[in-house]
Amino acid sequence: MQRCTYSCNTADHGLSRRAFLGASTAAALGPSGFANAYANAELAKTQKRVLVIFLAGGASQLETWDPKPNTDTGGPFKAIPTSVPGTHIGELLPYTAKQMHRLAIVRGLNSVSDDHGIGEKIMLTGRKPEPAVEYPHIGAVAAKLLGNSAASALPGHIQILPKGSSGFGKADATFLGPKFGSVSLGDGKPPADLLRPANMTAESDAAREDFRRKLNDRFAKSRKSAATDAYAESFEQAERVVKQGEVFDIEKEDPKVADRYGRHDLGRHFLLARRLLEAGVTYVKVSHSNYDTHHENFDFHIEQLGEFDRPFAALMDDLAARGMLETTLVIVMSEMGRTPKINANYGRDHWSRAWSVALGGCGIKGGAVVGKTNANGTVVTDREVYSGHLFHTYLQAVGLDSSKSFHPNDRPIPIADPKTAAISEILA
Amino acid sequence: MLVCFLLATVVSVGDARNPLPNRIDTLIAAGFPDFTKVAAPPADDAEFCRRVYLDLTGTIPTAAEVRSFLADKNPKKRTALINSLLNTPGFIRRLMWFLDVTLMERRADAKVPRAAWESYLQTAVTENRPYNVLVRDLLSNDGSDPKTRAAAKFFLDRDLEPNLVTRDLSRIFLGRNLQCAQCHDHPSVIDYKQEEYYGIQAFVNRSFLFPNAQAPTAIIAEKAEGDVTFVSVFDKAKKSYTVTPKMPGMKAATEEKPEKGKEYKVAPAANVRPIPLYSRREQLAGAITSRDNPAFARTAVNRVWSMMLGRGLVNVLDWDHSANPPSHPELLDLLAAEFVSHNYDVKWLVSQIAYTQTYQRSSEVPATLTDVPADRYLVAIMKPLSPEQFAFAISQAGGQPNGNGALGPFRSMFGARPGEAQDGLTATLDQTLFLKYGGTVRSLIAGRPALLAKLTTDDAIAEELFLSVLSRLPTADEKRDVIDALKSAKDRNAALAELTWALVASAEFRFNH
Repeated sequence: MQRCTYSCNTADHGLSRRAFLGASTAAALGPSGFANAYANAELAKTQKRVLVIFLAGGASQLETWDPKPNTDTGGPFKAIPTSVPGTHIGELLPYTAKQMHRLAIVRGLNSVSDDHGIGEKIMLTGRKPEPAVEYPHIGAVAAKLLGNSAASALPGHIQILPKGSSGFGKADATFLGPKFGSVSLGDGKPPADLLRPANMTAESDAAREDFRRKLNDRFAKSRKSAATDAYAESFEQAERVVKQGEVFDIEKEDPKVADRYGRHDLGRHFLLARRLLEAGVTYVKVSHSNYDTHHENFDFHIEQLGEFDRPFAALMDDLAARGMLETTLVIVMSEMGRTPKINANYGRDHWSRAWSVALGGCGIKGGAVVGKTNANGTVVTDREVYSGHLFHTYLQAVGLDSSKSFHPNDRPIPIADPKTAAISEILA
Repeated sequence: MLVCFLLATVVSVGDARNPLPNRIDTLIAAGFPDFTKVAAPPADDAEFCRRVYLDLTGTIPTAAEVRSFLADKNPKKRTALINSLLNTPGFIRRLMWFLDVTLMERRADAKVPRAAWESYLQTAVTENRPYNVLVRDLLSNDGSDPKTRAAAKFFLDRDLEPNLVTRDLSRIFLGRNLQCAQCHDHPSVIDYKQEEYYGIQAFVNRSFLFPNAQAPTAIIAEKAEGDVTFVSVFDKAKKSYTVTPKMPGMKAATEEKPEKGKEYKVAPAANVRPIPLYSRREQLAGAITSRDNPAFARTAVNRVWSMMLGRGLVNVLDWDHSANPPSHPELLDLLAAEFVSHNYDVKWLVSQIAYTQTYQRSSEVPATLTDVPADRYLVAIMKPLSPEQFAFAISQAGGQPNGNGALGPFRSMFGARPGEAQDGLTATLDQTLFLKYGGTVRSLIAGRPALLAKLTTDDAIAEELFLSVLSRLPTADEKRDVIDALKSAKDRNAALAELTWALVASAEFRFNH
């Protein structure tokens, strides 16, 4: 029997590109199309946003959210009490422990694949890969469904990577269209073309834009179409983005705030993430590398979590203090967990069957813990969930109906895996 | 057959007194009440000149070419220009791009390198190989002869994956997107049957890549056995059907059944590429391109029409079914019949379309026309430049006729996703920033200011600038704007660069209008 592997699901007619373009242009501009001074305050109250903190390589659940001290798998670290009575997490996260009243833990996750690439896809799309359907990443879904605030012309889907080049990706938006593809900021730097070249003056730039507008106005008198309008408008949008370019510059931040986040890469990247969210970007992902600890798992977790813990707590405090936590869903995930079994190199290997994700902020019941693993963490014993459950949960937490479908070319594609449902226990 | 016969008598195929372009125009005019009164007038000479250069050679004309065309007093100068452009290297380039994107849809070059594929296409276009011969060649080559291997790209770079190949054979050559019929009869298109999907797949289901799909040098091998069976996911009884190779709407191919034990020329064994005595895949090329398969010519002419006019008679190009009829059914039948009787000659078809008033109509919307239904061709449709046209046009605007160096960046920036049809305009932030601040565009147009600065008067500079970039003379207002900008400029060279960029970044430049 033929499984329905891909036919009904792929985005196929190019029509979708045009349709999405129209939709997204309107969404990106909002009703007024221009930023205003009061927008940020208003934004903090209403605009729903998503922040994913991606512990790349696969952080160990046993050293973080689901410690098993004094067992054969537990390793050398203790479990410490948190701001939520009865809930313990790993001792490498003392500052995070004080944030647990803002965070829920899902301890019964089975993400099915022990492969870095596939695992990442599963966690970011909420589905197991299927032969020829490419599902959009959560960032593209959020950017499309939540839209940017009227105040922001910035792209809705941004990822901050530890290093590497900056640029525009399109693949992760798949059938939602290139507008919702991620903009990558390698080491937090904006793509080169986002800034005016050094040898071009602002006056010269303005002069050529004026002339371009004049030409377009004349042309549009007798040859106006949706496409010519969209093209002309794209330059206006680009100009607004360029004007918002300061958002990428964390030097504009109060040094005291910057100190709290920490004067190192991850601290800077978290601070940048907060600036972007505050400026109205719908989705920001910050990757922290690298947790792939096949060797010396414990030393590496001391190092990595040592970097993560304090800036993360500072970020949570900062989001709360700015009133942004009610509208910003924060998710701490990896592409997989790590084996309970400790290998001969004091390492832990790839593991997807029983691990944890923490999330908080918008729509999430802080302090909730759902799902259990057995005494030494080798099996889920209560409330096993898949990435699909999490995907539904993320969407519902930010007020979206996760049972709806996208309709590229009039073909229904459920936004989240219909075989799963939201984890209602942690929804506020 | 009956349809062909009727056409032959009713529209008098080959009647020299009524050339095809006139018949096309008549059928287009019949598609709207009072067509001639409401339709846009012919494009002016400059508009026509730019359009036909872009469509037939893939780039804009030089200022000198525009001047010479504008000055030409020959009343038949448009036909003369079309005929001359059809015989330039530019036409070969343009048709290569068209065929490449049509057949490969910007898939990554995997098993057939780009250079070999382009060289193959260049030979085919240069000798004006009939389209049916080209397609037969593509679908029958097994990639085993290094000298001709490039022709197998269609299969090889799709890894001969049966569902992908079935989908693309039906979309690209039959104009039918049968993808939804993989799992069940199409839920909303009654014409698209699951049986048809598997009838096509049965031509290739015994074929596979040898030694495996991962090998970059893989070739096509085939088994002598294996049937295609399918079950509809809608069928609760799970009834299974078996189909043999069959094109939709045609009779099933007659299958040879070799004697038992004699099924192979080369029998399968470890590390041996099997060759069956009777090959199902060898039947495919003939079946698709057969004159008894009207979908083949119909789809081909629809795609060429769309390339020239900016919209298919069947729109979307792979959505040909009875509930989505052509905008001008008789015209599509006529073009298909003429294409067949002219031996599938794409160059000839392009020329016939270019000669029409329909093609040569202005894109300027007449003031009297408030509603412009795109499928009536009352006003020329503005076509966004393809990535290739855009690369070449910007190079030309900068004074550099050869845009080959810019193809890579423009294809990756403006090309559709691999495996998807290029459709309409996208204007994403990265594309706009690429045009606005990107180094590629800046260096492509960097030469223009120096060329303009050689001219002695600002008046001459304004004219040359507009002719070089927008392929037309400036209006009085525009000329004054240029002269003012130059007079007030502290740095003339910088001002010329600003003006050049503004013209290149204008909507007028982005579209073939």
